[in-house]
Amino acid sequence: MEIRTEARAGVTVATLDGRLDFEAADAAQARLRELVAAAASGGTGLVLDGGSLAYVSSAGLRVFLTIAKEAKAAGVPVAVGALQPAVKQVFDISGFSQTKIIDVHATVDDAAKAVAR
Amino acid sequence: MSDVSAPERPGISLVEELCLLAIEDDGSVASTAGEPAFGMGVVGACLVELCIRGRLDADVRAGEDGTPETMLIPIASTPTGEPALDSVLAEVSAGPERSAVEWTRQLFPRAGDLVRMALERLQSRGIIEAKEARFLWVMKSRRYPVIEGRELQEAKLRITDVLLGGGIPSPHDSVLIGLASISGLLRGFLSSQELRRLEDRIAEVGSLDLVARGVEEAIEEEVALRARAMMIAGM
Repeated sequence: MEIRTEARAGVTVATLDGRLDFEAADAAQARLRELVAAAASGGTGLVLDGGSLAYVSSAGLRVFLTIAKEAKAAGVPVAVGALQPAVKQVFDISGFSQTKIIDVHATVDDAAKAVAR
Repeated sequence: MSDVSAPERPGISLVEELCLLAIEDDGSVASTAGEPAFGMGVVGACLVELCIRGRLDADVRAGEDGTPETMLIPIASTPTGEPALDSVLAEVSAGPERSAVEWTRQLFPRAGDLVRMALERLQSRGIIEAKEARFLWVMKSRRYPVIEGRELQEAKLRITDVLLGGGIPSPHDSVLIGLASISGLLRGFLSSQELRRLEDRIAEVGSLDLVARGVEEAIEEEVALRARAMMIAGM
């Protein structure tokens, strides 16, 4: 999978493009970890844009949880936006949508508003 | 390697930690360990650990009736070197494609063996010891006194830190909290009052994982089934 970034006012938007499964998980987590570090030093929030994320497996969900944990520890607000229905269903079934731990929004703009600094 | 595929603490697995939490201060095994929730929790701990170690993955697909189901996907059959995990891995790798709920039910009759293997491994690593004791001078019972208690204390501390401190759990700890809660093991170190107060927090941070949610569903179905059977038997 590919991760593209875009800087907006007070927020970095990371677009997740492709499939986030076990094969992709390590590289995706390493890249997102870098983005959390950059957001911490730049004083911005981080949005994970799920509009191009076609698939997420159990391993992919662990990436989201791990990144949320590390971002909180680094003081970086993180939100997820624009999840496709199939991926949103995985978030719902695993309990991610019902918890405040991962801030999920319908659109990237809403997510950006929620975490912009 | 990142902590997506590697165990976060390679020393101790989820199933070992769950079994460790079932050991009382006097080395006896908690009575809740005899309940189906614990047995299925042990199966679930093996399945999730195999996912963390890159032997299995899981995703959501529409079942025969269109209801979404969490399906387990074997991705590597290389043994982990841990007998409990490897026996589950061998069966899942060789078996037909099944959901997490179905695999939990299928493997549940082997939970006793999985617990024995996990306790033996904890023993071989010097974390617990096994002692024969006599109950009422006649009945033999086995106790597993914890040797130093560092691993058990660490597990309890991580759980209470997440529950009381408001932090985000690691994937490992989220599943440990969920399975320990549904197995009744949190009662071993949190009072009823604390558990009532933390109910929402446990629901928020526990089992944030596809496979663990499937295991919880299997446990809830089994508990409901047994309750109905008891009710019918009592009529």
